Amino acid sequence: MFTPGSKYLIAITGLSAFSLALYMLLVHPSALGAVALIGLVAATSLLTGITLFTRDGHAAEDQTSAATLDTPTPSMWPLVGAAGFSLVLVGTVTTPIVFIFGIVAILATLVEWTVQAWSERSSADVSYNASIRQRILNPIEYPVLAAIGVAVIIFSFSRVMLAISKDAGAIIFIVAASAISLVGLLISVRPQLKKSIVQTIAVLAAVGLVGAGIASMGFGLREDLVVAAEEDHYAHQECGEEKSEHFDKGVSETVSATSGADATIELVDGKLTAQVQGIEGLQDSITVRRANPSNIIFRNKDAGEFRLSAHLGKKQIADGVMEDVVTCTQLISEGAEQWLTLTINKPAVSGEPYTLSVPGVEGQSIVVVVP
Amino acid sequence: MLTRVIGRLKPLILGTAGTVFLASCATNAPQDTFQPKGPNAQKIDSLQKPVFAVAGIIGLIVASAVVYSIIKFRDKGQPIPKQSHGNPALEITLTIIPALILAVVGVFTFRTVFDLNKTSDTQMIINVTGQQWWWEYDYPTNNEYGITQPIITSGQLVIPVGTKVLLRETSRDVIHSYWIPALNGKRDAVPGRITLNRIEADEPGIYAGQCTEFCGLSHANMRMEAVALSKEDFAKWVANELKPYVAPAKDSLAKEGETVFLNQCTRCHQVNGLTREDGTPVIAAPDENVWSGAAPNLSHLMSRNTFAGAMFDLLTPECRSDVWKSESATFGEKYLAGVSEPCLNQTDLRGWLRNAPEKKPMYANPALLADTGGKYRGMPNLGLSESDIEKLVAYLLTLK
Repeated sequence: MFTPGSKYLIAITGLSAFSLALYMLLVHPSALGAVALIGLVAATSLLTGITLFTRDGHAAEDQTSAATLDTPTPSMWPLVGAAGFSLVLVGTVTTPIVFIFGIVAILATLVEWTVQAWSERSSADVSYNASIRQRILNPIEYPVLAAIGVAVIIFSFSRVMLAISKDAGAIIFIVAASAISLVGLLISVRPQLKKSIVQTIAVLAAVGLVGAGIASMGFGLREDLVVAAEEDHYAHQECGEEKSEHFDKGVSETVSATSGADATIELVDGKLTAQVQGIEGLQDSITVRRANPSNIIFRNKDAGEFRLSAHLGKKQIADGVMEDVVTCTQLISEGAEQWLTLTINKPAVSGEPYTLSVPGVEGQSIVVVVP
Repeated sequence: MLTRVIGRLKPLILGTAGTVFLASCATNAPQDTFQPKGPNAQKIDSLQKPVFAVAGIIGLIVASAVVYSIIKFRDKGQPIPKQSHGNPALEITLTIIPALILAVVGVFTFRTVFDLNKTSDTQMIINVTGQQWWWEYDYPTNNEYGITQPIITSGQLVIPVGTKVLLRETSRDVIHSYWIPALNGKRDAVPGRITLNRIEADEPGIYAGQCTEFCGLSHANMRMEAVALSKEDFAKWVANELKPYVAPAKDSLAKEGETVFLNQCTRCHQVNGLTREDGTPVIAAPDENVWSGAAPNLSHLMSRNTFAGAMFDLLTPECRSDVWKSESATFGEKYLAGVSEPCLNQTDLRGWLRNAPEKKPMYANPALLADTGGKYRGMPNLGLSESDIEKLVAYLLTLK
């Protein structure tokens, strides 16, 4: 009843199950460990069942038909499929991207293996079978592989650019673009160039780029990006004067033309003025509706980089501890503009009006009135 | 056959025609679009009447031709007449005539649209904020009109006559639409955007309006009134709105009402100048209790004639009629008198305080607020005792 192969697998399954029981009962179990061992038990059980069913692969000997006379060609897809299942299992307890890779591998296996198996049985002519497989799968394989190749190249190149300084990045960009142009030119003026030479150049370039990408990942990000990440560059708002060397360099300096603005605040020749939609002339105060998002545009028309800060009173953060409520635009250069959305729920306590000001510009402020 | 059908339908046709005719004779139609009371509404009226007449005549011609054809060429068993295709002269004529009519209408329409969008001659700005289901008005400082501090009110928009007022509209929750037919066309109030709507009233009076964008459960109850006062009376209204808060006399029923108000109402409703016993100013926190973030500011409540999103009158029907029907010369005086105790509509006000959601459909069932994090849309039932309601009414009457 039990074939030699199945005996080994039954033993492995038993050991796996015993390990799982020990792990769950005696060791402090983690989800990852449990999933791995359950996966192992499931996989070995499956293999045991298949081995028993096929009598170590000899079950079909007495049922051989004309359609299965040829031995199937070796295929990598079972391996890919198994890897896919493993990735799905691991992905469920780690990160979604691993899970997605697993699903992609399983889907690819399903398509490729099915078509391959079907084509190998379509006739007794091996070359015809191969051609019919190619006719079905090549229109899918080529674009997918090209997309993967492009993604790998872009990813590798981006790792290189993030690791080196901005100046070196510009130089490398120019060199790389020039090299691509030169190779393209060479191929166009020498169409009789040997195919092997072109392939060698392409492979060397791809390997070099991927290698450089891997090496760059090893070196890590360049210093200013590391500092920006440490400073929580994109989330943190530093509403005072500029202190950090790397802060706010990636600021968007545009405002949508279709945005609905309550007021426009301009910094011109060291003076801060307000223009309110529907009111002629410059204002030194603006009225903002309570409990309603109010959009304010800050336009810097002075030399230098400035931001608009809104001082919105104080809030209690603990018993007896008050904190200033301040929000601001990002730092913008001359001629640029930024958007500030204020939602103020309550009127200011008398004597402490809400104000808009520009850090670094003394004696200038716009009063924000909330009825 | 046709005659028999018409004969059977005669009562229905005559009934419909009679109803339409009688409806056009209504005298109490405060939201009648054909009764402009200001230059902006007049511009629309001047455009729509000739367009309506032209469209009506064309409609009548087309309808008559259709009816004539139906009767004249009805199926009487005759053979199918000779079919013809293409009549260039007729087709070109029937294309050019409507195009010319539309072009003429378009010229006048565009001119009116541009006139109505003019803002350069604005004399007064008022911010209008829609919220389920009431309108808030805040007046930014405007020294020319004596508004030295912002004024905030709701329900009734008060404007001076002969003044080009620019309404800056927006919304705190969903899209609403502001429309006072006697003063201008409608404009949507859209969250995150400011839309401009200019109004001007020729004569003192009250002009009714209605939210015209479906905005939820109580859309039909989201009303508004524009009150036009002479410039002198408007100055008096402004002065009254800027008057500091006067606390009720000690040991009075109103003083007890103030305590109830402090305990029950100030979570959402602000009364400017109201202080606690220790002298600290009371700042309401509607943003913590109301889904859309605000509740009507009740300072000088009794200087208004309406409450609950202008759904209910603060005046009794007799007193309200006295104000609404007064002559232009005496209107301001009557309106500025506000709400006195004999004129107070106690029935609706007490009913509102007793159980607001019963008076106006709102999302105010505490058991159904999971989606809004426990915040209400509209006023909930506070479960006030009759004694507390008595005290509150006495207190609210002091908010003039």
